[in-house]
Amino acid sequence: MPIYESVMQEKPPIVLDIGTAYTKLGFAAEAYPRKIMPTEVVMTTTGIRKRLFDYDTPEELYDQLVDFLQTIFFKHLLVSPKERKFVLVENVFGPTVLRETLARVLFVHFDVSSVLFVPVHLIALSTLAVPTALVVDVGYSETSVMPVFSGVQIMAAFKDQSYGGSAIHAEIKRQLVEQGVKESLLTESVLEDIKVRTCFVTTMERAQARVNGGEDQPTPAPDVDYIVSDNDAVIQVPGLLRETVYEIMFEASNERDSLPHLILRSILDCTLDVRRALVESVFLVGGGSMVQGLLARLRQELQHLLAEDPFYAERFHGQLQFKFFNAIGKQNFTAWLGGALCGATDLIQTRSLVKETYLKSEHVPDWSNLCDNRPTGS
Amino acid sequence: MSFMQPSPVKYACSCGILNPINKLFFCRHCPKLRCGFCVTHEIESHFCSNCLENIPSTEARHKKNCCANCFDCPCCQHTLSARASTVPVVRKTEEAKEPKDGDSKGDVTPPVPATSKPSAVPTTKKMYYLSCLSCRWTTRDVGIPDQGVATGTWPDNECLYQARFNALVEYFQAVVLQEKQEKLEFMRRKAPKQHKFPSLTDRTGLTVSLIRRQIGWNDKAPKAKAVITPVEATAEVEGLPANIFTEPLNLRNVTTITQRHSQPADQPTAVVSLYPQRRSLWIKRSLRCRQCEHNLIKPEYHPTSIKYRIQLFASYHVPEVVMVRCEQPLVAGKSNAILLKLTNPTMYDMTIRLLTTSPPEDPQLLTEATRVVKEESITSSPLLKTVGITLSRQNSTREVKRDVIDVSNAEIVPLESDFVLSQRDDSKEFDEDVQLPTEEPKFIVWRKGNKVLLRLQFTPAEKLPGSTDVVLGFYMQYTYVNTVNNTPEKREPTTHALHSRVFITAGATEQKAN
Repeated sequence: MPIYESVMQEKPPIVLDIGTAYTKLGFAAEAYPRKIMPTEVVMTTTGIRKRLFDYDTPEELYDQLVDFLQTIFFKHLLVSPKERKFVLVENVFGPTVLRETLARVLFVHFDVSSVLFVPVHLIALSTLAVPTALVVDVGYSETSVMPVFSGVQIMAAFKDQSYGGSAIHAEIKRQLVEQGVKESLLTESVLEDIKVRTCFVTTMERAQARVNGGEDQPTPAPDVDYIVSDNDAVIQVPGLLRETVYEIMFEASNERDSLPHLILRSILDCTLDVRRALVESVFLVGGGSMVQGLLARLRQELQHLLAEDPFYAERFHGQLQFKFFNAIGKQNFTAWLGGALCGATDLIQTRSLVKETYLKSEHVPDWSNLCDNRPTGS
Repeated sequence: MSFMQPSPVKYACSCGILNPINKLFFCRHCPKLRCGFCVTHEIESHFCSNCLENIPSTEARHKKNCCANCFDCPCCQHTLSARASTVPVVRKTEEAKEPKDGDSKGDVTPPVPATSKPSAVPTTKKMYYLSCLSCRWTTRDVGIPDQGVATGTWPDNECLYQARFNALVEYFQAVVLQEKQEKLEFMRRKAPKQHKFPSLTDRTGLTVSLIRRQIGWNDKAPKAKAVITPVEATAEVEGLPANIFTEPLNLRNVTTITQRHSQPADQPTAVVSLYPQRRSLWIKRSLRCRQCEHNLIKPEYHPTSIKYRIQLFASYHVPEVVMVRCEQPLVAGKSNAILLKLTNPTMYDMTIRLLTTSPPEDPQLLTEATRVVKEESITSSPLLKTVGITLSRQNSTREVKRDVIDVSNAEIVPLESDFVLSQRDDSKEFDEDVQLPTEEPKFIVWRKGNKVLLRLQFTPAEKLPGSTDVVLGFYMQYTYVNTVNNTPEKREPTTHALHSRVFITAGATEQKAN
């Protein structure tokens, strides 16, 4: 592949996965991102750190994106974005304004040569080299489930719920405030640190015992003294909190929208023929899925629901066993890794949105836009 | 110029964003104000901020933008320093241990037993380890052996799945290439015939296969299908460690999320697997005007130099306005006056007018602009035009120009006449002689050298609520002598009448008494 190699030697494409909480950035054909940094901008006028996607007007978003990408290019990647090729990992159901603004910033302000948008679930799957899986993305703002069969996303069976990292943070905060911890101590970074360093997903037996109540409650895990270094304060993190914060993902309610239900319902929304294949290939990605014990618990819950819940027992037949994939690398950059793989191939030449095309219409083709999907041209 | 606090005087850049003068640039070729937002940034050179070594861009790319010698602490992201320690070494045993340790050593060591006693003499040897002066982390904490040289071969944490990743890359490249070939083949078959006379061989690719057979190759094209072993899904998943419910957790042994993210490849959860991280490089930037593509800022190449080769800061070209004070406390609807100090930074006298409405554009600049456009239309040939490519710098003007947001909320009494701001003359600073009293306009309070203090009358708006900032806005028109020329025919400096919009935050209005 002489053409391809000469291109790679010239300028490797930049791969960006801008998540709600963290942004993964790096170059194509590299096995791990160069940096994982918080998706935050520092306002030049006030010096306040602010999440990139907190904005009131599209113009504000535009300015924030310019600032944010500027830091990425000149502080972290140290390359000029001019005449570069880009791979952007995007949420399939993300807001259009975000996508359009991002494209405008890249093409108009930074003068890049082409952008390839890739959907997060599909591209995360490419790191496994398997065509079929049920991809579960546990992110910061939401958890989403997308079945992929033979490399095609089954959009009709897409499911999402709002329990992600931010919901866990809120739960930790609620429990700690109940304990009498001052609310001013519990900043977002402290909550995140407590979550990452102390919390885990408990086993199903222990969780059920808690729900049922009764006398013989399991003894909770030991308490942890967490030191807030900025304020010289100590927060006592109870063992019960460590065990139970992730229960919001598994809470049984009449809505039947906990994570196991979400997965099962998504599978049920697919046609009969693909269900077994999906059951036997569940793939968890996203930073939220790196917590200890999540996979084991999920498997237990799913098997339990299959056997015990009449609704699912009626609809699923045969001996079904849920199987899971192990990601290569860490789950929090699996989608980025897929983008890096994609950027290393010839697809970057053939499938990208190039600058000339964009400048003609100032519009990014989108699967949900009828203008781009009319059967007989535009 | 107020140094630590935000300046109350803001200039409107040509792109419409308000900035203090120390953040603005001035393009002499346009000539217009520019800010960091409306110029293109370019990378001039890479360097390490710790050892101040210049690294060529190809090498920087090869080393993944990391310095070869400097390391960051994986614990607190501070720079690590190499520390020496003397370790007693028994020569004899060492030699016995490392027999293949280079010839040079072999040459040196034999005389030692000959001259001194044959018994083992303890000598010392310098060994180095890395230590963080901020958080006391050392490479010994995590069991990295000490190195013989200061810039030693510290282990790079390699990626565990690199082989698998390479296989994946190869696989996908092959798949995509194969798809492309198949598509080409398909298009070839589908394409309408080029010849006048239809030929069966064209359609079927018969000739190719005939030739192949004649050469003796296999009839089928040698299509090696890309293969890769897909990952297997398992039902056995890693459960919780049994002791998690009983063992107390020591937070000192668990890494924070920042520490994990600073090591993106493996993201260790245990402190013992933290490794020193190579320090990432910094860059020097040069700035370029989007309109005319001239350099505005170009730093000197060497990392230790803080000078510039090209520096077109606005404060060298545009009269600087400094707010001195307001005469009376600010009250809504009550007339007031503000004292402003104007400084001329250039080597030519300036005539300045303060206006409340936008003055007309300099006709000279307008004609020049149209001339440039005309030239471009001549150079771009009709052929290029039909293809849709123009040689002109098309994209540079695409950035949408914003309107200046008028934030002023006070009525200004315009000055009755213009006035001259004399040139900057550093030698005049030391002159003792008092300037001859000349006929000055009434609003000028004081004048010395290239500085003028003037009094501007204004009235804050009637309906201002208490303790809101009063903002004065006006157009400052000034003559600017341009010493660079875009035109080759005339060489002498040209004078332009430029203007920029200035906004001054005078302060907050008084709280109402009630």
